[in-house]
Amino acid sequence: MTTQLNPVLYGKAIQYQLANIVTPVPVYASFNRNFATQPKFLTWQLRNVHQPVYTGQNQNNKGIDRPVFQISIFTTSIEDGFTISNQVLQSLHGYSGQFGSPTEGFWISKADVFWLYNSYDDTTKMAQIFLDCTIDIPA
Amino acid sequence: MALPNKVLPGFSAAMYAQPGTTPTPLTTAQLSLVASTAAIAVSGNLMPVEAIPAFGQDDAVASFPVAGSRQSDKIPTQSAPTSMTITAAWNPSDATLLLIRGDAYSGTVDRTFVISATDGSNIIYYAFNGRVSQFQIDAQPGAEAKCTFTFHPRGNQYGWSNNA
Repeated sequence: MTTQLNPVLYGKAIQYQLANIVTPVPVYASFNRNFATQPKFLTWQLRNVHQPVYTGQNQNNKGIDRPVFQISIFTTSIEDGFTISNQVLQSLHGYSGQFGSPTEGFWISKADVFWLYNSYDDTTKMAQIFLDCTIDIPA
Repeated sequence: MALPNKVLPGFSAAMYAQPGTTPTPLTTAQLSLVASTAAIAVSGNLMPVEAIPAFGQDDAVASFPVAGSRQSDKIPTQSAPTSMTITAAWNPSDATLLLIRGDAYSGTVDRTFVISATDGSNIIYYAFNGRVSQFQIDAQPGAEAKCTFTFHPRGNQYGWSNNA
């Protein structure tokens, strides 16, 4: 029997964890309205929050959650973006332990980071790098 | 006494284990008695099973090839209730899984297990007495750790019942 975990907690933990990894580079959920004045920043988007449901009428007969959050790195210098992506990889890929703050976090068995691709947006004049991170959460 | 009169989704099935470390399994007559089986099929006895495997009876047949005859004969015999291999998400503290682990360790504990399936109002029960074997933990990464085990029902000790 498994409890349903709260996506609000996921969001707070991701924000805390990423901000700690890349400090002093700012981290935002989904969007940075000051993108025009900041040469480096990260945004993240959470998706695929899903604990598989198993048979029977008991709502708690579930498996574990393995949500994915995308990390989008925006930099005016392409090399800065690669450097920040390396910080994220070195810190998160294969990580097992406390995720998020001591008060608003949880223990994860594993973080698995997938470095997806780099790109460039001519309208914002910023280089971009996208990574996916899957976390395994005991429940 | 009415059976559910609808086609049931697989999710409608749930499985329950008789509680206690030294249970007294139901008698053959009680296994077909709704008052006895429904008493086991309560939330405290629920097993955290992923999916209910095939349940019912095995095939069993006696073949008689007869020399000189044109056809041999296959005669159905009293077939045994089907062994069931169960997969459950593994919580090391789950009380029911600990009972099952104890049964497997002993190898001689007879326990009554009940499978229920419901359309939301009526419930059909399949109950059997069995022993547990092959209790294993599969901790393969990529999902939750799985607890797998096999029930081997005792011969002639199963029954169907339903409520209304």
